[in-house]
Amino acid sequence: MASAQLHWEEVRVGDELEGFTLEITPRRLFLQVSGSQDWYPLHFDPAFARKAGHSDLFVNTGFLQAALVRVITDWMGDDGFLRKLRFEMRRQQRQGDTMVCRGKVAAKHERDGDGIVEIEVWAENEREGVTTPGMATVALPRRSGGPG
Amino acid sequence: MAEQYDIAAVREKYIGFETATARGRYLVEYDAIRRHCHMVDDNNPLFLDPDYARKTAHESVICPPSGWLALYFASLGPWPAVFEPLFPIVPTPGKRIVNMSQEVEWSTRIKAGDHLSVRRRIADVYQKAVSLDAEAVWIVAEATISNQRDETVCVIRNTMLTHRTPDEQEQATGNKR
Repeated sequence: MASAQLHWEEVRVGDELEGFTLEITPRRLFLQVSGSQDWYPLHFDPAFARKAGHSDLFVNTGFLQAALVRVITDWMGDDGFLRKLRFEMRRQQRQGDTMVCRGKVAAKHERDGDGIVEIEVWAENEREGVTTPGMATVALPRRSGGPG
Repeated sequence: MAEQYDIAAVREKYIGFETATARGRYLVEYDAIRRHCHMVDDNNPLFLDPDYARKTAHESVICPPSGWLALYFASLGPWPAVFEPLFPIVPTPGKRIVNMSQEVEWSTRIKAGDHLSVRRRIADVYQKAVSLDAEAVWIVAEATISNQRDETVCVIRNTMLTHRTPDEQEQATGNKR
């Protein structure tokens, strides 16, 4: 859904980004392959994953990135601009997990007239806790109409 | 007897290696964006609805700011799919891959109809033990994505772990005895 445009002045440090929850079902794993076009069997073939030494298959980087990006783009609105995203695959999201994606405003500042917000963003599940921590830098439009 | 892996020689030969710029076969297209959005239930009309997007300041459907998707349009789109052309370039003891982290810095948005290119560079190669494999090799690869106006769209920095399977490790241990 399109959201009302968020402005830099409205953001407070500590604000939470609502995020969302996804069940990692077999259907979701098929959507993962379709949506990422990642044909590496580690992410859809349990036997391949186990032979490699993993307990089971797990979702891929493209899927996790799409989820973290969605947390941010749902929040920042059409005119926000994601300048930077860094995230780490520390633990796994596996079939049967409920993946919860959230975010939190860590800092805000101005840089060369732009309204900048630093965001902690992550994916977690009940089995592992935070699996995929990340940090994002977003430029938001200003109420004064200045550059976002 | 198994050949000894020489990480120093690999580092010397491959760090800084750069590919020529390669252009994606297809333009940035609606349906690949739709599939990408739908895998995480992203229903943002700026990414999915041309009528909605036309009325925004961007005047076009925007590609979600995912480095993965940018790389797909720049290089991975053509069939048969190529997962990661850099891996065959850097020799590693194991061929199994796990992506450990990614960093994407964006300079401009990607719009439907853009034509993307990629230039790849190996930024680092090193050996660091992990529970999966004591001789795991890590590769840091950079991909610079540009558009049809030769503007840099984003720079993607991936840190990937390559490792051997338990069977391969057992075999290597046996070979050393």
